[in-house]
Amino acid sequence: MATRAPRRRRNLAPFAFVAPFLLLFLLAFALPIGYAVYQSVMDVEYTGALGLGGSHTVFVALRNYSDALSDHAFLRSVGRVLLFAAVQVPVMVALSAGLALLLDSASARGVRFFRAAFFLPYGVPGVIASILWGFLYVPGVSPLVDGMRHLGVSVDLLGGDTVLWSIANIVTWEFAGYNILVLVAQLRTVPAELYEAARIDGASAWATVRYVKLPLLRPALILTTVFTIIGTLQLFAEPLVLKPVSSSIDSAYTPNLSAYNEAFTNDNYHLAAAEAVLLALTAFVLSFGFLRLINKRGGDA
Amino acid sequence: MSRTTRLRRSRGTLAVTLATASLLISACGGSTGSKDPAVQAPVKPGQKVDLRFWSWVPGVDKAVDKWNATHPDIQVKLEKIPAGSSGGYAKMRAALKSGNAPDLAQVEYQEIPSFLLENGLVNLSRYGADKDRSKFVDWQWQQGVFDKSVYAIPQASGPMGLFYRSDLFKKWGIEPPATWDEFAQAAQKIHDADPKAYISTFPAGNSAWFTALAWQAGAKWFGVNGDTWSVNIDSPQTLKVAAFWDDLRSKKVIKTEPDFANGWYKDLQTGGITSWVSAQWGDAIISGNAPQTTGKWAVAPMPQWTKGSNVSANWGGSSTAVLKGAGHIPEALKFAEWLNTDPASVDLLLQGGYGWPAAADGYKGSSLDKPSPFFGGQKYNEVFAQADKSIDTSWKWIPTIDATYQHLNDGFQAALAGKGTFISAVQQAQKQTVEDLKRKGLKVSTGK
Repeated sequence: MATRAPRRRRNLAPFAFVAPFLLLFLLAFALPIGYAVYQSVMDVEYTGALGLGGSHTVFVALRNYSDALSDHAFLRSVGRVLLFAAVQVPVMVALSAGLALLLDSASARGVRFFRAAFFLPYGVPGVIASILWGFLYVPGVSPLVDGMRHLGVSVDLLGGDTVLWSIANIVTWEFAGYNILVLVAQLRTVPAELYEAARIDGASAWATVRYVKLPLLRPALILTTVFTIIGTLQLFAEPLVLKPVSSSIDSAYTPNLSAYNEAFTNDNYHLAAAEAVLLALTAFVLSFGFLRLINKRGGDA
Repeated sequence: MSRTTRLRRSRGTLAVTLATASLLISACGGSTGSKDPAVQAPVKPGQKVDLRFWSWVPGVDKAVDKWNATHPDIQVKLEKIPAGSSGGYAKMRAALKSGNAPDLAQVEYQEIPSFLLENGLVNLSRYGADKDRSKFVDWQWQQGVFDKSVYAIPQASGPMGLFYRSDLFKKWGIEPPATWDEFAQAAQKIHDADPKAYISTFPAGNSAWFTALAWQAGAKWFGVNGDTWSVNIDSPQTLKVAAFWDDLRSKKVIKTEPDFANGWYKDLQTGGITSWVSAQWGDAIISGNAPQTTGKWAVAPMPQWTKGSNVSANWGGSSTAVLKGAGHIPEALKFAEWLNTDPASVDLLLQGGYGWPAAADGYKGSSLDKPSPFFGGQKYNEVFAQADKSIDTSWKWIPTIDATYQHLNDGFQAALAGKGTFISAVQQAQKQTVEDLKRKGLKVSTGK
């Protein structure tokens, strides 16, 4: 029929537009994930004491997963980042929101300076930031620790009970500025009429924050919370850099550190793949769990 | 969706990139047979060859420059990498997996079996390396020999002694400890004399050091019989060493800070740490990081378990290995031989502080064989020359040694945090090491 050809062309058009994205999505996202899952159900077996007889890759089903889940060090590392997230996420979101609202308040002075100052640490790579903070944590080198010791306060910022929170401090310093920027951007989109209306209704500054700004900030707050959840579970660079200066950071301090060590120190690539998949699943469950919880309580994210 | 992806990407952590990269990298793994590739022929004279060499050894750049100046046809490009266990080996393994490894790399003796297991080293016997055997100290040569084939050219070892602050020891009236008992007494005396000073640290995160101490005590952790590995870490000799440090730790007469870290360097400079049981290459570490203490250090033999005996151990020690995938193996081997035997090269490496020469006649008449102003005019290398002759050279390494080090590190660190003791850390490491080998599908027996 004469009408069929143009219609098919019309049906193909959306696909043509989506194709570049789909292709990239497949190459950079779906394929590596699929490959990781494939790797995690395989393992290498050697012939001879030193593998001089050669090696071959065999299918082992879920053995790597059972190995990972029965490894106390790995389980502890998962528990550790969950604890870390439980503290870090509320602190980060509250701090970012607080500072963003201060920047946005009508009486704020030096807004441009502070906005730049808050954002600046985000421009410092995590590894560099960890090295810098590391200097501030090591006794004998750190003016902070030594100064406090002179005041009679002895703190060990790299000890077993404290080093996790020393890391939390670095992470907060690094990423709060980024989150503040996201929140400030959202606040900028609030129509001025709303503030005007609030003022005419006699709302105080606090009431404006509570009834106008915070509800409108909601989408950005949800976004920063999800990012922070994902980011904290993936904790890696900071403990890796602090490891040489702290006796309390072991090789499986965080799940990512554990996977990195299994892959590049112990040559257990397949076990590392299983650990990476488990971590991804945890992040997936927590992020979507959080979003569902939010959506249940009304509003759309 | 695409917006969140972009945002997430911009905040994308190193970790995910690494994890993904590692998974992609292992794509090139697959199955490897025992069949060796064809032997490469040397290039024709006049043809130019470029080699890549990864190393972290101080001073190796000068030796490489010398080679490049004298060998215009074979140019070596040195790439400095982090020291092996601080990320250098991780880098090498990743490069091997992805098929773009350098031609040559610095590989410590304990790592050779691990790299072999991963099929990462070239069998140099097929290129005539055996003819070099007589040029090296025999036990060091043997570190690279497996299944009658040579896989690495030895470079240096680390015979051990005791570096100590002679000025402070004199001030407090303490003799350098000849036995471990005396070491424990000295630890108490030093800390009594100055509450800020300690005899040494116990580096919980550096088990290679503890391994050397167990080696000195007569432990033999690993062995291989046919294709079965034996693991015997929790032997009485090792437990004796662990108990010794447990005791010092509970008395709080030693530090427990990490070695090779800022705080520890500071302590070397200020006298917070007054001695260090270390390998010969420790001289460069001390003089390089605490130059202001010049003239105040001296060297004594390692403290002994039995009074009057003279047993040392080896800590560290490296080889130059040719990695799988090297494009010009004959030329790479030529460079590895020259680097570790040519008198001019050995001398440059010695000046950098690379350790104790593996070259058979490396010590006599070299720059080591002189009094040192830093060590108060002492001809301190005589101590190490003696130590080098009193090492149990039958010590073997397993292909999962890094994991063993980590288990020990984790256990020692847990002990410092109040969970368990150094003894339980050793017992735990024994169990875990057996598991590690089994994971790789290797046969294991415990030495009991």
